[in-house]
Amino acid sequence: MPLSRKAKEAIKVALAMTIAYGIALQMNWDKPYWAGFAVAFVSLATVGQSFNKAANRMFGTLVATVVALTVIGLFPQDRWLFMLILSGWVGFCTYMMGGTKYQYFWNLSGFASIVICVSAGMDSANAFRIAILRSQETGLGILVYSLVAILLWPTRSRGDFDAAAVKLSETQRQLYQASLEQMGNKDKTDATQELRTHLLQVQTRFGQLLEAAETDSYEVWEMRQQWQKFQRLSTDFAGTMAGWHGNFIELQLLDVKSLIPNLETFSAELDKRFAEVERMLAGKPPEQQPAPIDLTLNKTGIQSMSHFHRAALAVTRKRLNHLETLSRSLFETVNDIQGFDQKAKVPVAKPQPSGGFVFDPDRLTGVFHVMTILWLAYLAVIYVPDIPGGGALVSMAGVFGMILAGTPQLPVSKMFMPVAGSVLFGGVIHIFVMPQLSSFYELGLLLFATIFGICYLFAAPQQALSKVFGMALFIKVAGITNQQTYSFLGVATTAMLFMIIFLLLTIIVNIPFSARPEKVFLRLLGRYFRSCGYLIHNMHRDTQKQEKRFDRWQKNYHKHQLASLPKKLGVWARFIDTKVLPGTEPPQIQTVLTGLQALSYRMQESLAESDKAQSPFLLQELQSNIKAWRDRVEEILQRLTDEFDAGKKETLGARLTEIIDRLEQRIEETLDKAAENQLSKQDNENFYQLLGAYRGVSEALVDYAGTTEIINWNLWREERF
Amino acid sequence: MNQIPHEFAIGGVFMSPLLVVSILGTIAAVVTARLLNRYRLSRYFSYPPLVFVALMVIYTVLIGTFIIRV
Repeated sequence: MPLSRKAKEAIKVALAMTIAYGIALQMNWDKPYWAGFAVAFVSLATVGQSFNKAANRMFGTLVATVVALTVIGLFPQDRWLFMLILSGWVGFCTYMMGGTKYQYFWNLSGFASIVICVSAGMDSANAFRIAILRSQETGLGILVYSLVAILLWPTRSRGDFDAAAVKLSETQRQLYQASLEQMGNKDKTDATQELRTHLLQVQTRFGQLLEAAETDSYEVWEMRQQWQKFQRLSTDFAGTMAGWHGNFIELQLLDVKSLIPNLETFSAELDKRFAEVERMLAGKPPEQQPAPIDLTLNKTGIQSMSHFHRAALAVTRKRLNHLETLSRSLFETVNDIQGFDQKAKVPVAKPQPSGGFVFDPDRLTGVFHVMTILWLAYLAVIYVPDIPGGGALVSMAGVFGMILAGTPQLPVSKMFMPVAGSVLFGGVIHIFVMPQLSSFYELGLLLFATIFGICYLFAAPQQALSKVFGMALFIKVAGITNQQTYSFLGVATTAMLFMIIFLLLTIIVNIPFSARPEKVFLRLLGRYFRSCGYLIHNMHRDTQKQEKRFDRWQKNYHKHQLASLPKKLGVWARFIDTKVLPGTEPPQIQTVLTGLQALSYRMQESLAESDKAQSPFLLQELQSNIKAWRDRVEEILQRLTDEFDAGKKETLGARLTEIIDRLEQRIEETLDKAAENQLSKQDNENFYQLLGAYRGVSEALVDYAGTTEIINWNLWREERF
Repeated sequence: MNQIPHEFAIGGVFMSPLLVVSILGTIAAVVTARLLNRYRLSRYFSYPPLVFVALMVIYTVLIGTFIIRV
C-alpha cells in the first residue's frame, strides 16, 4: 500500500526525533530534549524550507551562545545589570524579528540567549558547559533531521517552485487581459479585484518557494539574482496594475480607443509578451522576440478635452508605457533564466536602497511586550518564594513573549488549548506509560509512535501551532534522561508554570491598549489617516527651503506608514469577529481595505509627482486653488482620523468636485494667460501628471468614504471585554 | 462551616485553598464578563481589562471569605 505524503512526513520527523534522542542519550548529554526541539522546529514541508530554517536556527543559537556567555561573564554578581542587558538584547532581537529578512534567526538569537542565560546564570560554574551543550544538541537535531530529510523520500522545492512561477505568470496575464477589458467598458462587472487578490497570494507563495528552492536546487541558486529580479518585477507589476485600475473611473468617461489609436496593437503586443513569458517558464523556447512599440496620442481629440481628462490620459499613458517596459524586462529576465538566448543576458541591477531607517511603532509594541513579560517573570522569580518553574518561568516567558510579538493577531486564548492539551498528554505518558518501559528500544518505540501520531493528526498547515506545541511540550514534560525519574510534581509544576505564563501574557496584551482585533484595526486606521494628513499638509513645501533632517525622517516615517498599514490592516481584519459587530460583514471590511489600498497608491503617486520639478509660473498662479483642495482633503482626513467615516459620499464628492472644477477653470485661464515660451512641453506634461494624481486622490477618497458609510463604526468603538 | 483553612486533596496531591479559590474567582469573572458582553453592558466601562481584574479580585475575596475559607 503506497504511503500518503503526510504519513511519509510524519515518519521522517518521528524517525529523526528517535535517532536524535538515541544519540544524545548514548553520549550521556544532559537535556536531550534540546536536540528534540531542534527536530520539532525545523521540520517543514520541503528539504529547502527545512534547511533554511535549520541554518537560521543554528546561526541564531551560535550568536545567542556568544551573547549569553558575554552577559554572564560581564555581570556575574549584578542581577539587575544582568537582566537589563539581557532584556535589551532580547528587545533588539524582537525588533529585528519584525523585519522582512532572517526573522527566525533573530527569534532564535533572542530566546536562545534567555534560555542559556537562565540555565547557566543560576549555575555559573557550568555556564560554558551549558552554552556549548545547547549549541551541540541543536546541531545534532538539525544534522539528524537534515540527513533523514535528504535520504528518506526527499521532497524538493523545485517542482513546486516551477509550478508557482508558471502560475504567477499566468495570473499576471489574466489580470492584464481583464483590466484591459474593464478599462473600456464601464458596464462590465469588475473581475479584476478577485484576480488582484489572487495575484497577491500567488506572489507570496512564489516568494516562499524561491527561498526554499535557492537552498535545495543548484540551478535556482545559480540564477538566484535573476529570479529575485523576476520577483521584484512581479511586485512592480502588481503595483502598476493597481494604480492603473484606479484610473478606470475617469477613463471610462473617455473614448480611449480614438484618443490612443494604436492601443489595440499595443495591447496585443503586451499580451503576446506575457504569453511568451508563460511559455518560457513552462520550458518552451519563445516563438518571437518583443517588438518595439510606443503609444501615440490623437492630438486633435485631446485639444477638445478638459484639462483633468487630459491629465487622466497622461497618467494612463505613463502607466501603459511603464507596463511595456515591465513586460520587456520580464521577457528578457525569464529568457536569461531559461538560457534560450545567450545574447539576451541582462545585467541584474541592484535593488534600490530604501530611504534610510524608519522605526515601526508596531514592532516597538512587540519589543515593549517582550521586555515587560521578561521583567515581570524575573521579578516574580526573585520575590515570590518557590514560584513554579523557577528560572524556567523566565525562559518560557521570553519564548511566548516572542511568539506573541511575531504574531500579535493570535489571541492568547487560541494558544491556551494546544498548550494545555500537550501538557496533559505529555503528563499522562510520563506518569502512566513511561514507568512501564525498560530499555531504549521500548522508549524509542514510544517516541516514534507519539511523534508520528502528533505529526499525522496535525499535518494541515493551519494546525502547525498544535503540531509544534504538541511535540515540544510532550518531550519537555516527558523529561527523558539517562537517570530517569517519574514525578507528578514535575508535571503539575509545568502546568502551573504555563498558567502563570498565560496570566502574564493576558495582562501584557491588554495593557495599555485593548488587544481586540477591531480596536487594533481602528487604532491602525487612525494612524493611517494621520500619516495621510501629514503628507498632504507638507506637500509642495517651499522648495527653496532646505529640508531639515528631522523633517526628512518624519516624511519617511509617514510614507512608510502609508505603504505598510493597508497590509497590516488586512492581516488584522481576518481576526475580527463580525458576530459581535451586528451589521458588519467580512466582505464589507474587505471593501474598506480595497478602498484604502487604492488611496495608498493614489497618495504615493501624488507624492512622487509633487517631488518632480514643476513650472514655478503654474504653481504660483494656481497656489490658492491647490491650497483650497489640500485644505478640504485635510479636513476629510481629519474627520476620518477621529470618526472613521467622512459623511455622505455624494456630499463629499460634490464638494471635492466643486473645488476641482474651480481649479479646472483657473487652469484654463492661466494657460490662456501664459506666454508662448513660458511653458515647455515637459512643464505641461509634469503638470498634467500632477493634476491627474490630485484627481486620483480625490476620487479614491470619495470612493473610500462610500465604503465606510455602510459600517456602523459606533459599534466598533464600543468597549468590550 | 469549618473556619480553619484546609488544603484540598485531589488524588493524594494537596492544593492550597488560595489556588482553588483564585481559579473559581477567575471562572466567575469570565462568566460575568461574557454576560456583560452578551447584553452590551460592557460599553459602560471605560477600560474593561481593568474591570476584569477587579472582578477577579472581588470574586476571589468573596469566595475566600464566605464559601471556602482561605
